[in-house]
Amino acid sequence: MSTAAIMSVEGLVKTFHTGFLGALPGFGGLAARLQLKGVAQRVEAVRGVTFRVERGEVFGLVGPNGAGKTTTIKALMGLIRPTAGTGTLLGHPLGHTRSRERLGYLPEQPYFYEYLNPREFLDFYGGLFPMTARERRARAEQLIDRVGLRHAVDRPIRRFSKGMVQRIGIAQALINDPELIVLDEPMSGLDPIGRKEVRDLVLELKAQGKTVFFSSHILQDVEQLCDRVAIVVKGKVRAEGRLGELLLDADHPVEIVSTHVGSAARETVTALCDRVMDAGETVRFHLRSVSDRDAAVRVLVTSGARLQSVTPQRRSLEDLFVEEAGRA
Amino acid sequence: MRQLFVIALNTFREAVRNRIFASLIVFSIAMMLLTVAVSSASLNEEIRIIKDIGLFLTSTFSALICVFVGVNLVYKEIERKTVYTILPKPIQRWQFLFGKYAGTAATMSVQVAVMGGVLWGLFLSMGEAFGVVMLQALWLIYVEILVVGAVALFFSSFSTPFLSGMLTLGIFIVGRFSETLSSISLKPQSPADDPEALARLSALIRGVASVLPDLSKFNVTPNVVYGHALQADVVLWATLEGGTYALLLLVLASWLLSRRDFI
Repeated sequence: MSTAAIMSVEGLVKTFHTGFLGALPGFGGLAARLQLKGVAQRVEAVRGVTFRVERGEVFGLVGPNGAGKTTTIKALMGLIRPTAGTGTLLGHPLGHTRSRERLGYLPEQPYFYEYLNPREFLDFYGGLFPMTARERRARAEQLIDRVGLRHAVDRPIRRFSKGMVQRIGIAQALINDPELIVLDEPMSGLDPIGRKEVRDLVLELKAQGKTVFFSSHILQDVEQLCDRVAIVVKGKVRAEGRLGELLLDADHPVEIVSTHVGSAARETVTALCDRVMDAGETVRFHLRSVSDRDAAVRVLVTSGARLQSVTPQRRSLEDLFVEEAGRA
Repeated sequence: MRQLFVIALNTFREAVRNRIFASLIVFSIAMMLLTVAVSSASLNEEIRIIKDIGLFLTSTFSALICVFVGVNLVYKEIERKTVYTILPKPIQRWQFLFGKYAGTAATMSVQVAVMGGVLWGLFLSMGEAFGVVMLQALWLIYVEILVVGAVALFFSSFSTPFLSGMLTLGIFIVGRFSETLSSISLKPQSPADDPEALARLSALIRGVASVLPDLSKFNVTPNVVYGHALQADVVLWATLEGGTYALLLLVLASWLLSRRDFI
Protein backbone atom coordinates (compact mmCIF):
# COMPACT_ATOMS: atom_id res chain seq x y z
CA MET A 1 0.00 0.00 0.00
CA SER A 2 1.51 3.34 -1.05
CA THR A 3 2.22 5.98 1.58
CA ALA A 4 0.85 8.69 -0.75
CA ALA A 5 -2.72 7.84 0.20
CA ILE A 6 -4.11 10.09 2.91
CA MET A 7 -6.38 7.27 4.03
CA SER A 8 -6.47 3.61 3.10
CA VAL A 9 -7.95 0.36 4.30
CA GLU A 10 -7.18 -3.14 3.20
CA GLY A 11 -9.31 -6.17 3.94
CA LEU A 12 -11.26 -4.46 6.69
CA VAL A 13 -13.56 -6.90 8.48
CA LYS A 14 -15.88 -6.17 11.34
CA THR A 15 -17.95 -8.83 13.04
CA PHE A 16 -20.24 -7.76 15.84
CA HIS A 17 -21.34 -9.96 18.66
CA THR A 18 -24.79 -9.08 19.86
CA GLY A 19 -27.05 -10.56 22.49
CA PHE A 20 -26.91 -10.93 26.26
CA LEU A 21 -23.13 -11.20 26.61
CA GLY A 22 -22.24 -9.97 23.16
CA ALA A 23 -21.55 -6.38 24.15
CA LEU A 24 -19.27 -7.31 27.04
CA PRO A 25 -15.63 -7.11 25.91
CA GLY A 26 -14.16 -10.56 25.40
CA PHE A 27 -17.33 -12.53 26.02
CA GLY A 28 -19.10 -12.05 22.69
CA GLY A 29 -16.46 -13.83 20.62
CA LEU A 30 -16.12 -16.64 23.13
CA ALA A 31 -19.88 -17.21 23.39
CA ALA A 32 -20.23 -17.10 19.60
CA ARG A 33 -17.39 -19.62 19.17
CA LEU A 34 -19.10 -21.92 21.65
CA GLN A 35 -22.32 -21.41 19.63
CA LEU A 36 -24.27 -20.33 22.71
CA LYS A 37 -27.39 -19.22 20.88
CA GLY A 38 -29.39 -16.48 22.59
CA VAL A 39 -26.29 -15.44 24.50
CA ALA A 40 -24.35 -14.01 21.57
CA GLN A 41 -24.93 -13.80 17.83
CA ARG A 42 -22.46 -12.92 15.09
CA VAL A 43 -23.25 -10.15 12.63
CA GLU A 44 -20.79 -9.54 9.80
CA ALA A 45 -21.18 -5.83 9.11
CA VAL A 46 -18.05 -5.37 6.98
CA ARG A 47 -16.55 -8.27 5.04
CA GLY A 48 -13.23 -7.20 3.57
CA VAL A 49 -13.42 -3.56 2.53
CA THR A 50 -10.43 -2.19 0.61
CA PHE A 51 -10.00 1.30 -0.82
CA ARG A 52 -7.63 4.23 -0.80
CA VAL A 53 -8.21 7.95 -0.73
CA GLU A 54 -5.70 10.25 -2.39
CA ARG A 55 -4.72 13.63 -1.02
CA GLY A 56 -6.86 16.53 -2.26
CA GLU A 57 -9.74 14.53 -3.70
CA VAL A 58 -13.39 14.24 -2.78
CA PHE A 59 -14.05 10.56 -2.20
CA GLY A 60 -17.51 9.10 -1.80
CA LEU A 61 -18.38 5.90 0.00
CA VAL A 62 -21.65 4.94 -1.58
CA GLY A 63 -24.03 2.17 -0.70
CA PRO A 64 -27.56 1.33 0.35
CA ASN A 65 -28.63 1.48 3.98
CA GLY A 66 -27.00 -1.30 5.97
CA ALA A 67 -24.18 -1.76 3.44
CA GLY A 68 -21.48 -1.18 6.06
CA LYS A 69 -20.58 2.45 5.29
CA THR A 70 -20.96 3.77 8.83
CA THR A 71 -19.21 0.73 10.33
CA THR A 72 -16.29 1.29 7.96
CA ILE A 73 -16.11 4.96 8.92
CA LYS A 74 -16.31 4.14 12.64
CA ALA A 75 -13.42 1.71 12.24
CA LEU A 76 -11.43 4.46 10.51
CA MET A 77 -12.29 6.91 13.30
CA GLY A 78 -11.22 4.46 16.02
CA LEU A 79 -14.74 4.09 17.41
CA ILE A 80 -14.82 0.37 16.75
CA ARG A 81 -11.97 -2.13 16.61
CA PRO A 82 -11.70 -3.99 13.30
CA THR A 83 -11.93 -7.77 13.54
CA ALA A 84 -9.35 -8.01 10.75
CA GLY A 85 -7.62 -5.83 8.21
CA THR A 86 -5.23 -2.92 8.23
CA GLY A 87 -5.32 0.72 7.33
CA THR A 88 -3.64 4.07 7.56
CA LEU A 89 -4.93 7.51 8.36
CA LEU A 90 -2.77 10.55 7.62
CA GLY A 91 0.35 8.40 7.61
CA HIS A 92 -0.39 6.57 10.87
CA PRO A 93 -1.94 3.18 11.54
CA LEU A 94 -5.67 3.21 12.33
CA GLY A 95 -6.44 4.20 15.92
CA HIS A 96 -3.29 6.32 16.30
CA THR A 97 -4.02 9.46 18.34
CA ARG A 98 -1.56 11.71 16.47
CA SER A 99 -3.35 11.29 13.15
CA ARG A 100 -6.52 12.70 14.73
CA GLU A 101 -4.88 16.09 15.19
CA ARG A 102 -5.31 16.65 11.44
CA LEU A 103 -8.67 14.96 11.11
CA GLY A 104 -12.22 16.34 11.18
CA TYR A 105 -15.24 14.11 11.57
CA LEU A 106 -18.99 14.59 11.49
CA PRO A 107 -20.99 11.48 12.42
CA GLU A 108 -24.35 10.55 10.95
CA GLN A 109 -27.30 12.31 12.64
CA PRO A 110 -25.10 13.95 15.25
CA TYR A 111 -26.21 14.90 18.72
CA PHE A 112 -24.31 17.43 20.73
CA TYR A 113 -24.20 18.87 24.23
CA GLU A 114 -27.42 20.81 24.04
CA TYR A 115 -26.70 23.12 26.98
CA LEU A 116 -23.77 24.77 25.15
CA ASN A 117 -24.05 27.72 22.81
CA PRO A 118 -21.99 27.74 19.57
CA ARG A 119 -19.04 29.61 21.13
CA GLU A 120 -18.83 27.29 24.15
CA PHE A 121 -19.39 24.29 21.91
CA LEU A 122 -16.56 25.13 19.51
CA ASP A 123 -14.27 26.13 22.38
CA PHE A 124 -14.89 22.73 23.97
CA TYR A 125 -13.96 20.81 20.80
CA GLY A 126 -11.04 23.13 20.12
CA GLY A 127 -9.75 22.39 23.60
CA LEU A 128 -9.24 18.77 22.60
CA PHE A 129 -6.61 19.89 20.07
CA PRO A 130 -3.25 21.52 20.72
CA MET A 131 -4.65 25.02 20.16
CA THR A 132 -4.23 28.08 22.34
CA ALA A 133 -7.30 29.83 23.77
CA ARG A 134 -6.76 32.72 21.36
CA GLU A 135 -6.53 30.37 18.37
CA ARG A 136 -9.68 28.58 19.50
CA ARG A 137 -11.63 31.81 19.86
CA ALA A 138 -10.52 33.17 16.48
CA ARG A 139 -11.27 29.89 14.72
CA ALA A 140 -14.67 29.58 16.43
CA GLU A 141 -15.72 33.07 15.33
CA GLN A 142 -14.56 32.36 11.77
CA LEU A 143 -16.51 29.09 11.65
CA ILE A 144 -19.65 30.59 13.18
CA ASP A 145 -19.69 33.00 10.25
CA ARG A 146 -18.77 30.30 7.75
CA VAL A 147 -21.68 28.04 8.71
CA GLY A 148 -24.09 30.96 9.05
CA LEU A 149 -24.86 30.75 12.77
CA ARG A 150 -23.94 34.30 13.78
CA HIS A 151 -27.61 35.03 14.55
CA ALA A 152 -27.73 32.10 17.00
CA VAL A 153 -24.40 32.62 18.70
CA ASP A 154 -25.90 33.00 22.19
CA ARG A 155 -28.55 30.33 21.77
CA PRO A 156 -28.12 26.89 23.38
CA ILE A 157 -27.99 24.03 20.89
CA ARG A 158 -31.19 22.55 22.33
CA ARG A 159 -33.02 25.36 20.53
CA PHE A 160 -31.41 24.65 17.15
CA SER A 161 -33.24 23.23 14.15
CA LYS A 162 -31.93 20.04 12.54
CA GLY A 163 -30.17 22.00 9.81
CA MET A 164 -28.51 24.26 12.38
CA VAL A 165 -27.31 21.23 14.35
CA GLN A 166 -25.79 19.85 11.16
CA ARG A 167 -24.06 23.18 10.50
CA ILE A 168 -22.58 23.45 13.99
CA GLY A 169 -21.56 19.81 13.58
CA ILE A 170 -19.65 20.69 10.44
CA ALA A 171 -18.05 23.60 12.30
CA GLN A 172 -16.75 21.27 15.04
CA ALA A 173 -15.32 19.00 12.33
CA LEU A 174 -13.36 21.98 10.98
CA ILE A 175 -12.25 23.52 14.28
CA ASN A 176 -8.68 22.22 13.94
CA ASP A 177 -8.38 23.21 10.25
CA PRO A 178 -8.04 19.52 9.32
CA GLU A 179 -6.33 18.08 6.25
CA LEU A 180 -8.86 15.28 5.99
CA ILE A 181 -12.58 15.77 6.65
CA VAL A 182 -14.77 12.70 7.07
CA LEU A 183 -18.52 13.30 6.81
CA ASP A 184 -20.95 10.45 7.42
CA GLU A 185 -24.19 11.08 5.51
CA PRO A 186 -23.79 14.88 5.78
CA MET A 187 -26.87 15.62 3.64
CA SER A 188 -29.14 13.22 5.47
CA GLY A 189 -32.33 14.92 6.63
CA LEU A 190 -31.44 18.31 5.18
CA ASP A 191 -33.75 20.34 2.95
CA PRO A 192 -32.59 21.29 -0.59
CA ILE A 193 -31.04 24.56 0.64
CA GLY A 194 -29.19 22.77 3.44
CA ARG A 195 -27.91 20.18 0.98
CA LYS A 196 -26.69 22.88 -1.38
CA GLU A 197 -24.87 24.59 1.50
CA VAL A 198 -23.11 21.37 2.37
CA ARG A 199 -22.24 20.76 -1.29
CA ASP A 200 -20.81 24.27 -1.58
CA LEU A 201 -18.79 23.74 1.58
CA VAL A 202 -17.34 20.46 0.29
CA LEU A 203 -16.33 22.15 -2.96
CA GLU A 204 -14.81 25.06 -1.04
CA LEU A 205 -12.80 22.66 1.12
CA LYS A 206 -11.59 20.90 -1.99
CA ALA A 207 -10.55 24.23 -3.49
CA GLN A 208 -8.52 24.84 -0.32
CA GLY A 209 -6.64 21.59 -0.97
CA LYS A 210 -8.42 19.57 1.69
CA THR A 211 -9.38 15.95 1.26
CA VAL A 212 -13.03 15.19 1.83
CA PHE A 213 -14.32 11.68 2.43
CA PHE A 214 -18.03 11.27 2.75
CA SER A 215 -20.60 8.56 2.76
CA SER A 216 -23.99 8.93 1.20
CA HIS A 217 -26.83 7.09 -0.38
CA ILE A 218 -28.03 10.27 -2.11
CA LEU A 219 -26.53 9.56 -5.53
CA GLN A 220 -27.18 13.00 -6.97
CA ASP A 221 -24.89 14.55 -4.34
CA VAL A 222 -22.22 11.96 -4.98
CA GLU A 223 -22.30 12.52 -8.74
CA GLN A 224 -21.99 16.26 -8.27
CA LEU A 225 -19.16 16.20 -5.77
CA CYS A 226 -16.97 13.13 -5.96
CA ASP A 227 -13.76 12.65 -7.88
CA ARG A 228 -13.77 8.98 -6.98
CA VAL A 229 -16.16 6.62 -5.30
CA ALA A 230 -16.28 3.18 -3.76
CA ILE A 231 -19.58 1.35 -3.95
CA VAL A 232 -20.18 -0.79 -0.89
CA VAL A 233 -22.86 -3.45 -0.91
CA LYS A 234 -23.38 -6.02 1.82
CA GLY A 235 -20.10 -5.20 3.52
CA LYS A 236 -17.88 -5.40 0.44
CA VAL A 237 -16.54 -2.87 -2.08
CA ARG A 238 -18.13 -3.82 -5.41
CA ALA A 239 -16.56 -1.06 -7.48
CA GLU A 240 -14.00 1.66 -6.89
CA GLY A 241 -12.59 4.33 -9.18
CA ARG A 242 -13.13 7.63 -10.92
CA LEU A 243 -16.80 8.26 -11.33
CA GLY A 244 -16.45 8.96 -15.07
CA GLU A 245 -14.64 5.67 -15.62
CA LEU A 246 -17.06 3.66 -13.54
CA LEU A 247 -20.04 5.07 -15.35
CA LEU A 248 -18.48 4.59 -18.76
CA ASP A 249 -18.11 0.82 -19.15
CA ALA A 250 -16.15 -0.84 -21.97
CA ASP A 251 -19.22 -1.66 -23.99
CA HIS A 252 -21.22 1.50 -23.46
CA PRO A 253 -23.84 2.74 -25.94
CA VAL A 254 -23.24 5.71 -28.25
CA GLU A 255 -25.64 8.27 -29.66
CA ILE A 256 -25.04 9.53 -33.20
CA VAL A 257 -27.00 12.56 -34.40
CA SER A 258 -27.06 13.19 -38.12
CA THR A 259 -29.04 14.95 -40.87
CA HIS A 260 -29.46 14.17 -44.59
CA VAL A 261 -29.44 10.43 -43.93
CA GLY A 262 -30.14 8.33 -47.02
CA SER A 263 -32.42 5.31 -46.79
CA ALA A 264 -29.66 2.72 -47.44
CA ALA A 265 -27.37 4.22 -44.78
CA ARG A 266 -30.27 4.49 -42.39
CA GLU A 267 -31.12 0.82 -42.87
CA THR A 268 -27.50 -0.28 -42.29
CA VAL A 269 -27.00 1.84 -39.18
CA THR A 270 -30.43 1.00 -37.75
CA ALA A 271 -29.36 -2.66 -37.67
CA LEU A 272 -26.68 -1.65 -35.13
CA CYS A 273 -29.08 0.31 -32.93
CA ASP A 274 -31.54 -0.46 -30.21
CA ARG A 275 -33.45 2.73 -30.89
CA VAL A 276 -33.75 5.30 -33.70
CA MET A 277 -35.62 8.59 -33.33
CA ASP A 278 -36.59 11.11 -36.00
CA ALA A 279 -37.09 14.81 -35.44
CA GLY A 280 -37.62 16.53 -38.78
CA GLU A 281 -34.46 16.04 -40.82
CA THR A 282 -32.50 14.98 -37.74
CA VAL A 283 -32.07 11.33 -36.92
CA ARG A 284 -30.81 10.07 -33.54
CA PHE A 285 -29.21 6.65 -33.70
CA HIS A 286 -28.70 4.92 -30.34
CA LEU A 287 -25.95 2.39 -31.03
CA ARG A 288 -25.98 -0.63 -28.76
CA SER A 289 -22.21 -0.74 -28.42
CA VAL A 290 -19.24 1.57 -28.83
CA SER A 291 -17.59 -1.15 -30.93
CA ASP A 292 -20.00 -0.35 -33.78
CA ARG A 293 -19.32 3.38 -33.64
CA ASP A 294 -16.61 3.59 -36.31
CA ALA A 295 -18.52 1.39 -38.75
CA ALA A 296 -21.71 3.44 -38.30
CA VAL A 297 -19.88 6.74 -38.74
CA ARG A 298 -18.16 5.42 -41.86
CA VAL A 299 -21.48 4.34 -43.43
CA LEU A 300 -23.10 7.70 -42.69
CA VAL A 301 -20.17 9.82 -43.93
CA THR A 302 -19.67 7.86 -47.14
CA SER A 303 -23.40 8.05 -47.86
CA GLY A 304 -23.26 11.87 -47.72
CA ALA A 305 -25.06 12.30 -44.38
CA ARG A 306 -24.01 15.26 -42.21
CA LEU A 307 -22.93 14.22 -38.73
CA GLN A 308 -24.02 16.55 -35.94
CA SER A 309 -22.58 14.71 -32.92
CA VAL A 310 -21.22 11.41 -31.65
CA THR A 311 -21.81 11.09 -27.88
CA PRO A 312 -20.90 8.22 -25.60
CA GLN A 313 -23.88 7.38 -23.36
CA ARG A 314 -22.86 7.14 -19.69
CA ARG A 315 -24.79 5.09 -17.24
CA SER A 316 -26.13 7.02 -14.30
CA LEU A 317 -24.68 6.29 -10.88
CA GLU A 318 -28.08 4.94 -10.02
CA ASP A 319 -27.83 2.38 -12.84
CA LEU A 320 -24.40 1.33 -11.62
CA PHE A 321 -25.56 1.26 -8.04
CA VAL A 322 -28.58 -0.93 -8.80
CA GLU A 323 -26.44 -3.15 -11.03
CA GLU A 324 -23.84 -3.72 -8.29
CA ALA A 325 -26.50 -4.25 -5.63
CA GLY A 326 -28.19 -6.80 -7.87
CA ARG A 327 -24.89 -8.56 -8.56
CA ALA A 328 -24.22 -8.81 -4.79
CA MET B 1 -3.77 16.42 30.65
CA ARG B 2 -5.33 19.28 28.75
CA GLN B 3 -7.94 16.99 27.16
CA LEU B 4 -8.75 15.52 30.57
CA PHE B 5 -9.29 19.00 31.96
CA VAL B 6 -11.49 20.01 29.02
CA ILE B 7 -13.72 16.94 29.53
CA ALA B 8 -13.83 17.56 33.30
CA LEU B 9 -14.83 21.19 32.82
CA ASN B 10 -17.58 20.25 30.40
CA THR B 11 -18.88 17.53 32.74
CA PHE B 12 -18.97 20.02 35.59
CA ARG B 13 -20.71 22.57 33.39
CA GLU B 14 -23.30 20.01 32.31
CA ALA B 15 -24.07 19.06 35.93
CA VAL B 16 -24.43 22.60 37.23
CA ARG B 17 -26.70 23.51 34.30
CA ASN B 18 -28.83 20.45 34.92
CA ARG B 19 -32.10 21.38 36.61
CA ILE B 20 -32.42 17.96 38.24
CA PHE B 21 -29.06 18.44 39.95
CA ALA B 22 -30.07 21.90 41.17
CA SER B 23 -33.39 20.51 42.44
CA LEU B 24 -31.62 17.74 44.34
CA ILE B 25 -29.32 20.26 46.03
CA VAL B 26 -32.28 22.45 47.00
CA PHE B 27 -34.11 19.39 48.32
CA SER B 28 -31.12 18.27 50.38
CA ILE B 29 -30.76 21.79 51.84
CA ALA B 30 -34.46 21.77 52.73
CA MET B 31 -34.03 18.42 54.45
CA MET B 32 -31.04 19.82 56.34
CA LEU B 33 -33.10 22.76 57.57
CA LEU B 34 -35.74 20.31 58.76
CA THR B 35 -33.20 18.97 61.25
CA VAL B 36 -33.61 22.27 63.12
CA ALA B 37 -37.29 21.47 63.59
CA VAL B 38 -36.46 17.93 64.72
CA SER B 39 -33.70 19.08 67.06
CA SER B 40 -35.90 21.71 68.71
CA ALA B 41 -38.13 18.86 69.96
CA SER B 42 -35.28 17.57 72.08
CA LEU B 43 -34.15 19.17 75.31
CA ASN B 44 -30.53 20.43 75.40
CA GLU B 45 -29.65 18.01 72.60
CA GLU B 46 -30.27 20.33 69.65
CA ILE B 47 -26.69 20.68 68.51
CA ARG B 48 -25.97 16.93 68.94
CA ILE B 49 -28.99 16.07 66.79
CA ILE B 50 -28.06 18.65 64.16
CA LYS B 51 -24.54 17.20 63.97
CA ASP B 52 -25.83 13.64 63.80
CA ILE B 53 -28.64 14.12 61.30
CA GLY B 54 -26.80 16.85 59.39
CA LEU B 55 -23.83 14.61 58.62
CA PHE B 56 -26.09 11.67 57.82
CA LEU B 57 -28.05 13.79 55.34
CA THR B 58 -24.91 15.28 53.82
CA SER B 59 -23.42 11.84 53.32
CA THR B 60 -26.59 10.11 52.11
CA PHE B 61 -27.83 12.84 49.77
CA SER B 62 -24.36 13.40 48.34
CA ALA B 63 -24.01 9.67 47.71
CA LEU B 64 -27.44 9.47 46.06
CA ILE B 65 -26.73 12.48 43.85
CA CYS B 66 -23.33 11.02 42.98
CA VAL B 67 -24.94 7.70 41.99
CA PHE B 68 -27.49 9.57 39.87
CA VAL B 69 -24.77 11.59 38.13
CA GLY B 70 -22.21 8.76 37.98
CA VAL B 71 -24.35 6.03 36.41
CA ASN B 72 -25.32 8.33 33.56
CA LEU B 73 -21.82 9.63 32.86
CA VAL B 74 -20.63 7.25 30.15
CA TYR B 75 -23.98 5.70 29.27
CA LYS B 76 -25.51 9.04 28.31
CA GLU B 77 -22.52 9.92 26.15
CA ILE B 78 -22.95 6.67 24.23
CA GLU B 79 -26.74 6.74 24.14
CA ARG B 80 -26.82 10.31 22.84
CA LYS B 81 -23.83 9.64 20.57
CA THR B 82 -21.91 12.65 21.85
CA VAL B 83 -18.96 10.31 22.34
CA TYR B 84 -18.81 9.83 18.55
CA THR B 85 -17.52 13.35 18.07
CA ILE B 86 -15.13 13.28 21.04
CA LEU B 87 -13.20 10.03 20.68
CA PRO B 88 -12.13 10.68 17.05
CA LYS B 89 -10.34 13.77 18.40
CA PRO B 90 -6.79 13.44 19.78
CA ILE B 91 -7.88 12.07 23.13
CA GLN B 92 -7.32 8.66 24.71
CA ARG B 93 -10.31 6.82 26.03
CA TRP B 94 -8.86 6.73 29.55
CA GLN B 95 -8.46 10.51 29.43
CA PHE B 96 -12.12 10.80 28.52
CA LEU B 97 -13.15 8.55 31.41
CA PHE B 98 -10.87 10.19 33.97
CA GLY B 99 -12.08 13.59 32.74
CA LYS B 100 -15.70 12.58 33.26
CA TYR B 101 -14.78 11.39 36.75
CA ALA B 102 -12.85 14.55 37.59
CA GLY B 103 -15.83 16.65 36.46
CA THR B 104 -18.11 14.63 38.71
CA ALA B 105 -15.66 14.98 41.60
CA ALA B 106 -15.72 18.76 41.11
CA THR B 107 -19.53 18.71 40.98
CA MET B 108 -19.72 16.68 44.17
CA SER B 109 -17.31 19.03 45.91
CA VAL B 110 -19.90 21.77 45.29
CA GLN B 111 -22.64 19.56 46.73
CA VAL B 112 -20.64 18.71 49.88
CA ALA B 113 -19.51 22.33 50.25
CA VAL B 114 -23.10 23.62 49.97
CA MET B 115 -24.39 21.17 52.56
CA GLY B 116 -21.38 21.82 54.80
CA GLY B 117 -22.08 25.54 54.41
CA VAL B 118 -25.69 25.06 55.53
CA LEU B 119 -24.45 23.08 58.55
CA TRP B 120 -21.94 25.82 59.32
CA GLY B 121 -24.76 28.38 59.15
CA LEU B 122 -26.86 26.33 61.56
CA PHE B 123 -23.90 26.03 63.96
CA LEU B 124 -23.32 29.78 63.73
CA SER B 125 -26.96 30.57 64.46
CA MET B 126 -26.77 28.42 67.60
CA GLY B 127 -23.48 29.91 68.78
CA GLU B 128 -21.63 26.59 68.33
CA ALA B 129 -18.09 26.38 66.93
CA PHE B 130 -17.76 24.36 63.70
CA GLY B 131 -14.45 22.80 64.73
CA VAL B 132 -11.73 20.80 62.98
CA VAL B 133 -13.57 17.53 63.48
CA MET B 134 -16.52 18.80 61.40
CA LEU B 135 -14.15 19.67 58.57
CA GLN B 136 -12.55 16.23 58.89
CA ALA B 137 -16.00 14.61 58.79
CA LEU B 138 -17.00 16.58 55.68
CA TRP B 139 -13.71 15.72 53.99
CA LEU B 140 -14.19 12.01 54.69
CA ILE B 141 -17.76 12.21 53.39
CA TYR B 142 -16.29 13.68 50.22
CA VAL B 143 -13.75 10.84 49.94
CA GLU B 144 -16.58 8.35 50.43
CA ILE B 145 -18.49 10.08 47.61
CA LEU B 146 -15.43 9.77 45.37
CA VAL B 147 -15.37 6.02 46.00
CA VAL B 148 -19.11 5.72 45.33
CA GLY B 149 -18.68 7.80 42.17
CA ALA B 150 -15.92 5.49 40.93
CA VAL B 151 -18.14 2.45 41.58
CA ALA B 152 -20.99 4.12 39.64
CA LEU B 153 -18.68 5.06 36.77
CA PHE B 154 -17.22 1.54 36.67
CA PHE B 155 -20.66 -0.04 36.25
CA SER B 156 -21.72 2.74 33.89
CA SER B 157 -18.86 1.84 31.52
CA PHE B 158 -20.57 -1.43 30.53
CA SER B 159 -24.10 -1.42 31.95
CA THR B 160 -27.38 0.48 31.86
CA PRO B 161 -28.01 3.36 34.30
CA PHE B 162 -30.72 1.40 36.13
CA LEU B 163 -28.58 -1.68 36.70
CA SER B 164 -25.52 0.44 37.49
CA GLY B 165 -27.58 2.45 39.99
CA MET B 166 -28.91 -0.64 41.73
CA LEU B 167 -25.47 -2.25 41.94
CA THR B 168 -23.85 0.95 43.18
CA LEU B 169 -26.52 1.53 45.82
CA GLY B 170 -26.12 -2.09 46.94
CA ILE B 171 -22.38 -1.61 47.30
CA PHE B 172 -22.94 1.70 49.10
CA ILE B 173 -25.22 0.05 51.67
CA VAL B 174 -23.04 -3.05 52.12
CA GLY B 175 -19.94 -0.85 52.28
CA ARG B 176 -21.45 1.08 55.17
CA PHE B 177 -21.61 -2.19 57.15
CA SER B 178 -18.30 -3.49 55.87
CA GLU B 179 -16.61 -3.38 59.30
CA THR B 180 -19.33 -5.61 60.79
CA LEU B 181 -19.50 -7.92 57.78
CA SER B 182 -15.75 -8.46 57.54
CA SER B 183 -15.66 -9.94 61.04
CA ILE B 184 -18.96 -11.83 60.91
CA SER B 185 -19.16 -15.30 62.34
CA LEU B 186 -22.62 -16.84 62.22
CA LYS B 187 -23.47 -19.16 65.12
CA PRO B 188 -26.12 -21.91 65.12
CA GLN B 189 -29.34 -20.63 66.67
CA SER B 190 -31.05 -24.05 66.84
CA PRO B 191 -30.02 -27.72 66.64
CA ALA B 192 -31.31 -27.76 63.04
CA ASP B 193 -28.68 -25.25 61.91
CA ASP B 194 -25.65 -26.75 60.19
CA PRO B 195 -22.51 -25.25 61.81
CA GLU B 196 -20.36 -26.06 58.75
CA ALA B 197 -22.81 -24.38 56.36
CA LEU B 198 -22.92 -21.32 58.60
CA ALA B 199 -19.13 -21.23 58.72
CA ARG B 200 -18.99 -21.39 54.91
CA LEU B 201 -21.61 -18.63 54.65
CA SER B 202 -19.66 -16.51 57.15
CA ALA B 203 -16.47 -16.99 55.12
CA LEU B 204 -18.33 -16.03 51.95
CA ILE B 205 -19.72 -12.85 53.53
CA ARG B 206 -16.26 -11.95 54.88
CA GLY B 207 -14.77 -12.60 51.41
CA VAL B 208 -17.31 -10.37 49.68
CA ALA B 209 -16.86 -7.65 52.32
CA SER B 210 -13.09 -7.73 51.84
CA VAL B 211 -13.47 -7.01 48.09
CA LEU B 212 -16.05 -4.26 48.49
CA PRO B 213 -15.03 -0.80 49.72
CA ASP B 214 -15.09 -0.31 53.49
CA LEU B 215 -17.18 2.85 53.67
CA SER B 216 -17.53 2.65 57.45
CA LYS B 217 -14.05 4.22 57.63
CA PHE B 218 -15.49 7.47 56.31
CA ASN B 219 -18.24 7.73 58.91
CA VAL B 220 -16.86 9.65 61.91
CA THR B 221 -20.16 10.98 63.25
CA PRO B 222 -19.50 9.71 66.82
CA ASN B 223 -16.26 11.74 66.92
CA VAL B 224 -18.16 14.82 65.76
CA VAL B 225 -20.99 14.37 68.23
CA TYR B 226 -18.56 14.03 71.14
CA GLY B 227 -16.14 16.63 69.76
CA HIS B 228 -13.15 14.26 69.46
CA ALA B 229 -10.92 15.40 66.60
CA LEU B 230 -9.35 12.59 64.56
CA GLN B 231 -5.62 12.02 64.34
CA ALA B 232 -4.28 13.39 61.06
CA ASP B 233 -2.90 9.98 60.05
CA VAL B 234 -6.36 8.39 60.40
CA VAL B 235 -7.78 10.90 57.94
CA LEU B 236 -4.77 10.50 55.67
CA TRP B 237 -4.95 6.69 55.60
CA ALA B 238 -8.70 6.71 54.99
CA THR B 239 -8.12 9.18 52.14
CA LEU B 240 -5.35 7.04 50.65
CA GLU B 241 -7.42 3.89 50.96
CA GLY B 242 -10.46 5.50 49.34
CA GLY B 243 -8.32 7.11 46.63
CA THR B 244 -6.60 3.83 45.79
CA TYR B 245 -9.89 1.97 45.59
CA ALA B 246 -11.36 4.63 43.31
CA LEU B 247 -8.22 4.65 41.14
CA LEU B 248 -8.30 0.87 40.71
CA LEU B 249 -11.93 1.01 39.63
CA LEU B 250 -11.18 3.79 37.16
CA VAL B 251 -8.27 1.84 35.67
CA LEU B 252 -10.55 -1.19 35.29
CA ALA B 253 -13.31 0.95 33.77
CA SER B 254 -10.76 2.49 31.36
CA TRP B 255 -9.67 -0.96 30.27
CA LEU B 256 -13.27 -1.99 29.62
CA LEU B 257 -13.91 1.24 27.74
CA SER B 258 -10.74 0.81 25.65
CA ARG B 259 -12.06 -2.53 24.38
CA ARG B 260 -15.55 -1.33 23.73
CA ASP B 261 -17.04 -0.80 20.27
CA PHE B 262 -19.21 2.29 19.86
CA ILE B 263 -21.75 0.85 17.46
